[in-house]
Amino acid sequence: MSQSLDPAQAATLVFGDQRIDLLEGESVLEGLERAGVDAPAGCRAGTCCKCMQQADNPPPESQRQLRPTLRAQGFFLACQAYPKEPLYMASTEPPAPISARVVSVESLSSDVRRLRLRPAQQFTYRPGQYLDVLHSSAAVRSYSIASLPSDGLLELHVRRIEGGLVSGYLHELEVGADVSIRGAFGQCFHVADDPDKPLLLVGAGTGLAPLLGIARDALDQGHRGAIRLVHGGLQPDRLYLRDELAQLAETWPQLSIHPCVLRDAGASERQGALDQVAVQVAGSTLGETRAFLCGDSDLVRILQRSLFLAGMSSAEILADPFDAALSP
Amino acid sequence: MSLYERLGGEPAFQAAVDGFYRLMLTDARVSHFFDSVDMDGQIAKQKAFLTYVTGGPAEYTGKDMRSAHEHLLSKGLADEHVDVVIEHLGATLVGLGAKPDDVAEVASLANSVRNDILGR
Ligand SMILES: Cc1cc2nc3c(=O)[nH]c(=O)nc-3n(C[C@H](O)[C@H](O)[C@H](O)COP(=O)(O)OP(=O)(O)OC[C@H]3O[C@@H](n4cnc5c(N)ncnc54)[C@H](O)[C@@H]3O)c2cc1C
Repeated sequence: MSQSLDPAQAATLVFGDQRIDLLEGESVLEGLERAGVDAPAGCRAGTCCKCMQQADNPPPESQRQLRPTLRAQGFFLACQAYPKEPLYMASTEPPAPISARVVSVESLSSDVRRLRLRPAQQFTYRPGQYLDVLHSSAAVRSYSIASLPSDGLLELHVRRIEGGLVSGYLHELEVGADVSIRGAFGQCFHVADDPDKPLLLVGAGTGLAPLLGIARDALDQGHRGAIRLVHGGLQPDRLYLRDELAQLAETWPQLSIHPCVLRDAGASERQGALDQVAVQVAGSTLGETRAFLCGDSDLVRILQRSLFLAGMSSAEILADPFDAALSP
Repeated sequence: MSLYERLGGEPAFQAAVDGFYRLMLTDARVSHFFDSVDMDGQIAKQKAFLTYVTGGPAEYTGKDMRSAHEHLLSKGLADEHVDVVIEHLGATLVGLGAKPDDVAEVASLANSVRNDILGR
């Protein structure tokens, strides 16, 4: 596409096979509006973030106000963007469903099952993001990805919900079956912008799935700062994958695992509310820490608030709450 | 030069809005209005509000103010709560280095939207 562009008209917005040439001194927002595109806009001064757009190569100065995860995905403020070269705008189409084959299934606890899937086509994601499973009834449910792209297989941890349509289906699937998935989505993933920043990963139940992906991804990308993973559950037998986590922490001294339960704590668990334990675990580093919060949406909101009130910067709190799906 | 620019513009306000929101969440006189709200969305709105009342680049209309607070009227939102907001606004601006004159000016601007906030 780029070779067909006239160099004198270098400041161009490229949408697939369409383009909008920008006039001298015009922002991306002004260009979109002049071309008749119904683009959202607000303050036009880089404050309100309403005019956010996504592209492959946004000018860095138009991303300054955004969270690191949004920057990493190419989001930028159209009112602050004055590109000097062709700007390849992201497609607004949702990702198409693809097929994935169940390669292994394994029980991790009384109600959590691990599935490993091999996608039939290229599936791009960042560890900690989630995918949608499309059920034959047209129901769509989201599941977090615990694996790294370099693993080759997609790893999911699915908790069986009583009477649950899609979790029940995923618990019944056998090796060799095909599942329809699409993705990836979500804002809760590691961005390697500061290898020394302390990271605090907190989740309950299958909130561990994205946290495991995020922790392994950070280690894989050479993170040196402390990575503190707090996994919560009602009682000790609700915590799963404990040996695997302990082994990972043995291999990587910067990683520590903090199991936490509400009742019946043994010698290896802390007992207490997950948000209070998370604040304690972060300790004096809380002010510089980046937090990743995953799991049930009510819990994530409590965690968000408690960490914020304890002094964590709102911009450093990343979360993808597991909201219960709206039917279907 | 606007107060917004004198106090350090966007980077200074990004940090100050967290402090402002923390003051509101921990003040028992107003915290119950924030019980079930989406924190990220609130912080973005508070930042736009702080920017607006200090003469910075933000769009904030009477209509926005009305619709943003409508659902709080049934929870008892009243003049005394707006006073608390103005009190914390002042403390936040002083923390950023504002002079008493500036604080008074911002308070009068915030007061000018009081009727919109309270749906009058
Ligand atoms: C971003 C995101 C990531 C997610 N990641 C995971 C994951 O990694 N692993 C995982 O197991 N789930 C995850 N979920 C939850 C998952 O998407 C489904 O909501 C869950 O599996 C239930 O779907 P279902 O079709 O089995 O139940 P449904 O048929 O939708 O629900 C059956 C009944 O159970 C109730 N119910 C639904 N969810 C729960 C719950 N959590 N606890 C108690 N009752 C419930 C419903 O209200 C309904 O009455 C995630 C959700 C989101 C939004």
